[in-house]
Amino acid sequence: MPQLEDIRNDFLRQEVSDFIERPEERAKIIGLIAKASPAMQQIGAALIEGQNKVVDQLTRSALDAGTPALEVMDDGLIAAMAIVGIKFRENFIFVPEVLSCARAMKAGMAHIEPILSASGIEPIAKVVMGTVKGDLHDIGKNLCIMMLRGAGFEVIDLGVDTSPDRFLQAVEEHNAPLMGMSALLTTTMPNMGRTIEAFIDADLRDQVKIMVGGAPVTQDFADEMGADGYGKDAVACVALAKKLVGAAA
Amino acid sequence: MQKIDPKEYQKRLDTLSEILNGIAHRADELSQQRCPYKNRHNQCTASFGCRNKRKPSTEGELPRCAGDDKLDYRKAWE
Repeated sequence: MPQLEDIRNDFLRQEVSDFIERPEERAKIIGLIAKASPAMQQIGAALIEGQNKVVDQLTRSALDAGTPALEVMDDGLIAAMAIVGIKFRENFIFVPEVLSCARAMKAGMAHIEPILSASGIEPIAKVVMGTVKGDLHDIGKNLCIMMLRGAGFEVIDLGVDTSPDRFLQAVEEHNAPLMGMSALLTTTMPNMGRTIEAFIDADLRDQVKIMVGGAPVTQDFADEMGADGYGKDAVACVALAKKLVGAAA
Repeated sequence: MQKIDPKEYQKRLDTLSEILNGIAHRADELSQQRCPYKNRHNQCTASFGCRNKRKPSTEGELPRCAGDDKLDYRKAWE
């Protein structure tokens, strides 16, 4: 049975020693990481530190060197995200750190996507996501994006303070069948309705399913604005997205 | 170019989704008390104003968060 000392990467060994306390989780993580190649352990270490440029470079190098993509996913990216999840659960890190790690994961997956495409594996659907005009809150949106990507969606992130025109332009440019809007302020919520109206005026409303979310948003509000669905949290967002594009749950 | 078996890829997505679901649930719980923009160093990563923002300890660093996680932090957002 692998031991902690069998993890060759110093940073990863320290991470497991310092942060993975439950014996069964520790044994499982050690088992996963100890068998990983040095290159995969390096990718994992960089992901846990949120170093997206390093993950980008190391993933590209590993794939160029012939490492199977699934090995990169298993031993580099997913094993590291498992550690991130444990650290977050135990309050060693918080949402900003988790989102940095998610960005690093995305940087790695960007090199695997062409391989997926060549294998005939396409994203479930494209989804445009943004926080509405006048609103600068993005944590909820970013958590939803992390979940959507993890579930197999291709996400176009428009950021914050997104105008109706910008939403329109992005949906058209990317031919996205799905769009998500977030608002955290009661003062900016009406911009969800304005954005939906912009789609109606542009004769594009029927081409896209629109979901909304955010702390002050409710199902009633979503119905009133003419949205196709409301997600109360990031998990619900993914379920709703799959439902709206007709994908398997 | 190498190829990936769709079923094998789906297994990885399922594993990843399980990890991320755990993260999302925890984020929901935690956000009842602790502002989600507050990082592990109790610094503020928000780009909007907040009454709990304080000058950083060292110039060039992120602002400090003075929120004590006892009051509703959303009331401090500007």
